[in-house]
Amino acid sequence: MRDMNEGRHPCRRKSKSGHPWPHFSMTALLCWIALCCTTLGAQAQDSGLLQQILDELGGHTSVRAAFTQSRENPALAQPQVSRGQLLFVVGRGMLWQVDEPFRETLALTGGRTARVDEQGHAQPVRGGDRGVAQVSQMLQSMLSGKPEDALRQFDVQAEGSTARWTLHFTPRQERMARVLRRIDLDGDRFLQGIRVELQGGESTQIRFADTRDAGELSPLEKRALGMPP
Amino acid sequence: MSRLTPSLRAALFSVFALLVTGLGAWLLFGRGTSPIQTDLLAMLPATERHPLAEAAVERLAHANGDRMVLLVEHANDATAKDAARELGKRLAADPAFAAVTAELPPFDLDQLIAPYLTHRFHLLTDADRATLTQTGYDAEQALKRRLNEPFLAGIGVKLQDDPFGWLQHWLDQQPWSRSPLLPEDDLLTAHRDDRTYVMVIATLRGSSYDDQVQRAALAALARAEQTVKHDHPGIQLLRAGAVFHAAEARAGAERDVHVVGLASTLGIAVLLLWTFRSPRPLLVAFLSTAIGVICALTATVLLFGQAYLLTLVFGAALLGEAVDYSIQYLCARANAGPRWQAMQGVRQVRPALLLALATSLLGYALLGLMPFPALRQMACFAMVGMLAACLSVFWLLPALLTAPATKPLSPMVVRGALALQTLAGRIGSGRRSLLAIALLLLVAAPGWWRLGHDDDIHLLISPPAELSRQEARIRDIAGIGNGSQFYLVHGDDAEQVLQREEALETHLQSLVQNGQLESWTGVAGMLPSAQRQQENHAALAPLFASRAQLEAQLQQAGLRADVATAYLDAWPGQPLTLAAWLALPVSTPFRYLWMDQGKDGIGSIVLPQGQDDVAVLRAAAEGLPGVELVDKPASISTLFGRYREYASVWLLAAFVLVALVFVWRYGRAAPRVMAPPLLGIGLTLAALGYLGQPLTLFHWMALMLVLGVGANYAVFLHEGEPHAAHLPGATYAGVLLSAVTALLSFGLLALSSMPALQHFGITLLLGIGFTALLVPAARSAREYVSV
Repeated sequence: MRDMNEGRHPCRRKSKSGHPWPHFSMTALLCWIALCCTTLGAQAQDSGLLQQILDELGGHTSVRAAFTQSRENPALAQPQVSRGQLLFVVGRGMLWQVDEPFRETLALTGGRTARVDEQGHAQPVRGGDRGVAQVSQMLQSMLSGKPEDALRQFDVQAEGSTARWTLHFTPRQERMARVLRRIDLDGDRFLQGIRVELQGGESTQIRFADTRDAGELSPLEKRALGMPP
Repeated sequence: MSRLTPSLRAALFSVFALLVTGLGAWLLFGRGTSPIQTDLLAMLPATERHPLAEAAVERLAHANGDRMVLLVEHANDATAKDAARELGKRLAADPAFAAVTAELPPFDLDQLIAPYLTHRFHLLTDADRATLTQTGYDAEQALKRRLNEPFLAGIGVKLQDDPFGWLQHWLDQQPWSRSPLLPEDDLLTAHRDDRTYVMVIATLRGSSYDDQVQRAALAALARAEQTVKHDHPGIQLLRAGAVFHAAEARAGAERDVHVVGLASTLGIAVLLLWTFRSPRPLLVAFLSTAIGVICALTATVLLFGQAYLLTLVFGAALLGEAVDYSIQYLCARANAGPRWQAMQGVRQVRPALLLALATSLLGYALLGLMPFPALRQMACFAMVGMLAACLSVFWLLPALLTAPATKPLSPMVVRGALALQTLAGRIGSGRRSLLAIALLLLVAAPGWWRLGHDDDIHLLISPPAELSRQEARIRDIAGIGNGSQFYLVHGDDAEQVLQREEALETHLQSLVQNGQLESWTGVAGMLPSAQRQQENHAALAPLFASRAQLEAQLQQAGLRADVATAYLDAWPGQPLTLAAWLALPVSTPFRYLWMDQGKDGIGSIVLPQGQDDVAVLRAAAEGLPGVELVDKPASISTLFGRYREYASVWLLAAFVLVALVFVWRYGRAAPRVMAPPLLGIGLTLAALGYLGQPLTLFHWMALMLVLGVGANYAVFLHEGEPHAAHLPGATYAGVLLSAVTALLSFGLLALSSMPALQHFGITLLLGIGFTALLVPAARSAREYVSV
């Protein structure tokens, strides 16, 4: 079937079909989150602090961290916990390497998701979950210090100081608000945690530890992110 | 017939004309809907072998027919959205629109997903099916991965309904998940190059081709646009929709009819007044022409049910040819002076008029042989019009022109004609004529050498550049394919169609992977064939075969026990049927892709996007039974090309026919009578070559008319001269009068906005001009003296 991970959007008769598209899938909603990053300054609220935070985040061109992700969902008997390493490169994307409870490395670049093998070759995940790619896209934009589109979709509240801050993203639009309750980011010089809460009762908490500037990337990492060696 | 007195015959003819006029008026204005067809596509010929293909072309052309698709554009996001909201409100408040969509209705995700739950074990993406059928598929591992996906897992389909994510993956591939236009602030919005585009869709209260609906909607849009642009400076409005094309086509045709009709009427009036120096001949000539045009229009609408714009414009130009018959009669009257007897006059002009009518009817009948609705209609229009005009000369005009003319033809006109005639006669006599012909050929040859040809569809349909630009922009932003090429998949039943479409999808997928195609839209992607659904189900069956084991795995992965039980209880579910799919609200915008045409069979339309090279698209359909690429513009161009070639042969055939008639009538003088039209055609072709106009089907059609008209002139001159021997130059003056009226009407077609009519006009302008100048050579100088 069609490649969903090309970042393009096939099959678009709808727009011309003219029918007010009454329904659209959830993952389409997440496109907005992906789009979420423009027009700073359009928001009055704490724009000074927000700008400082984004400037600081955007100052690190590549970052490594160890992550722990914990997920609660009404369908789950107990929280799902996974651990691994994250490499984030501004303008390129991220490598999400899970070590526990299974081993897997995902390359999230732009709107694409790819599974990375032992040699660093990225195989596009077809028919994979687009939502994941899209949230990663949003984070990529935020961490790159370019949040224009985000502010169209979310009210952003910045709290604290540049040394210890929290950003609360609440959907501005009813449609998204029906699905997504909020996204919180917190950190200091680096992003330290992400919390995604869905209306269905799911909540995903990601904590970062040992966050640092990445330094030189290994050839394998460069290959996985599609960078020149 | 001969027992009827002229006045009784005239009375009967008048009654007939009045009846036809009444019928015509009722057909045109009395039935509420106008029979004038503004849909340019309607006049295109059928080109596709498969009847379904024609139906599909029709359906695609009209799928978006009765709507306006508008994009409001501004650099500032909030301004664009406010403007779109205001535009939506203003349009919605206007009675011209049945519905307007700017702000989206409430949205319920669960409502979208719920109908799919019973079918979830029959719907798999190709990737998931491939993974599931691999040996050593590890369900527990797959679950773990899914539950621990980064950032979120249970969005869209609830985790308990779809723990493996299969249904979610499948839904992600559905067309509605992938539009570049996304709801923002309850508006369908796209962002491109730092500009915001917001879509507003307005549904008309009727057909785009309905005159009243069209005018009301366009006026409403213009009002709303003005207000919105005033309130939100800098707003740009992009528009698409059949209604704009129809309006442009109508405006263009109306302008053409006005320019051609008005200018030729005025020109002819001035010319007739000048020549006959009395208002009566003018009125009589116009009456005869009007009868011709009214009969033609009435007959056309009666026979075809509607009249194309092309026919109307052509009809306006036909005035100039229909007036010829009355001119001949009026000239005879003017030349007879006080000796004039109306019936005697009819007998005098009858042979020439009948011969001229026969050649005209012959020419138009050939035109009508083309299996091309627009051309047939034009031929029908012309034949009825010429016949009625000619009959009016025989039956009506004698009663109106019983008195002799008070003044002879304007001496200035006659003297001018005589001068031309003498010159042409001198050049066209003896050895000098051969020399003249050789010289003409020498001049013409380089022009012929430069002739090319052009068969493009733009000859008939050339939307205004600005409208095309806006539509292209909308397609680009909204991500819609160009719509002129598509695949038609057909089969004996729905299942076969879907299976064949799936075979096509495999080919298209490899194009996508090679970067040769962006995507496609088809039914099989939303409704897999029963066979494919069976395969999907079979791929899952081994997992569900051991319920206890899967239940353990689900719980092991972390799902609650009751959730696992409920999920397993849902197995095996139902396949998604055609009827069920058609009933889904979500399928509404895509139903037009599914074609169930009864006896013509069942089929589906697959729309490719992101590839304009037809060869690549065609190759993808090769070797697939029941799949063909339909490329209507290319089919039309091929057809134009084929008929252009036929037309040249037909011209030759018509020439031979006319020549035979002339040989029968004129014997040895026939070559001389035939030479002017033939040379006229030759010189016209050369002139077109020099002008750099590639030949089209429409040039050839016009050349057929040139032959007909040219032969008429030769006949008029040849037949008329003996009756006006006492007035040298008078007969040729009559022919010149005919020619100038024809030039005034047909020649003005060269100003038409439609390339086809332009070509038609310019060819006639050149052809009739040349022929009229050459025609005196139809009688040698010696003959003029001897008669």
